[in-house]
Amino acid sequence: MTQNRNKLIELFIGNVSNLIVHKILESAINQLELIIKYQKESVNSLKIAKKYGEKINPVNTPLQERDINYIREKIIKRAKAELEKRISLGYENIDLNLIEKEVDKILKEAKISD
Amino acid sequence: MDQIYLPKNRIGLVTGSFVLIKPLEQEIQQKSQTKKLHFYKIQSIEPLKLQVINEIIKIIDKKIKNDNIIFIGSFLEEGFNFNDVDILIITNQKYSIEPIKKELEEKQKIKIHLIQINNKTLLDGLSKDPLYPMMLSKCVAKKRFIFKIRKEIDYKILDLHLLKSKLLIDNFNTLDGNEKYYLTRNMIAIFLCLDKQKISQEIIDKEIKIIFNLKRIEEIKKNMLNKNSFLTKYKKIYNETQRKIFRGIKNDSKQKQID
Repeated sequence: MTQNRNKLIELFIGNVSNLIVHKILESAINQLELIIKYQKESVNSLKIAKKYGEKINPVNTPLQERDINYIREKIIKRAKAELEKRISLGYENIDLNLIEKEVDKILKEAKISD
Repeated sequence: MDQIYLPKNRIGLVTGSFVLIKPLEQEIQQKSQTKKLHFYKIQSIEPLKLQVINEIIKIIDKKIKNDNIIFIGSFLEEGFNFNDVDILIITNQKYSIEPIKKELEEKQKIKIHLIQINNKTLLDGLSKDPLYPMMLSKCVAKKRFIFKIRKEIDYKILDLHLLKSKLLIDNFNTLDGNEKYYLTRNMIAIFLCLDKQKISQEIIDKEIKIIFNLKRIEEIKKNMLNKNSFLTKYKKIYNETQRKIFRGIKNDSKQKQID
């Protein structure tokens, strides 16, 4: 991987982990009615992640399995750490089991994995 | 070329004076439209936008039984550089708004963002979420409104909102000026809310200028920032705000256990 590509992957990982933490916290807070008004704005994170995704993995150039696993594992690890930090603060209803499902969904959306 | 003739002998208008020419009828029409609406922190608005607002209200009124219709966001800024028209429909009933949105977009040929909200949620939002008072600090409403609210801090909502602003730290080079402004404004609103300060778009803009040492807010919107100095200050405020929020969440959950 080139240095530029590595940087893009790191940026992609950062954005997607943030997005996952945001999504899971949203479902943990029982003020969903209130939060839902801003859904339009939280789309930004996904838009940016997709932009990086397109650069990392241009059309017709499949990403190697090794790279997909690296990205997936790193996102899971980061999102988990952020959410565990919040659980230790006293957050309730945070479902860590949702992380992997959400990561796979976003990787597909960003065309990183099939 | 169209020409307008002015009498040679006139009082007040010397040769070379700059003048503004506008049709009298339009002026009268604008005044009658303006009478029906209520403006909050809006000095002036283009007649075309007023026309759009009135047409939108007419369509929504036909389809949705509402207590108020409030126009917010970039549509109300001077000029036509807005992304979409953000509209709050205050109603205690649930409607499927997608077909109405579609109809409005087809008729107006602009992007519409409809937010359906009931009175209780709106009041809840105004007391707990700094983005609500900021959103309503500059608006045009069908009916006059006054909200009496008791401010409470919900640290978990603030935590969720602050996460959005984290984007700017990692993606400074990727984001455009408006996105940077939105994320900064979001963070500063939360920062002020934690200090129990009053929140309005004007107050937030003023604070942004002071904190980031900017002459004009357009420096962010037009992406003319000095990356290093801006990011250093931004990170400092972000971390400080997050620390306060985490402390609040911890205290709240301790309190909950005691109760």
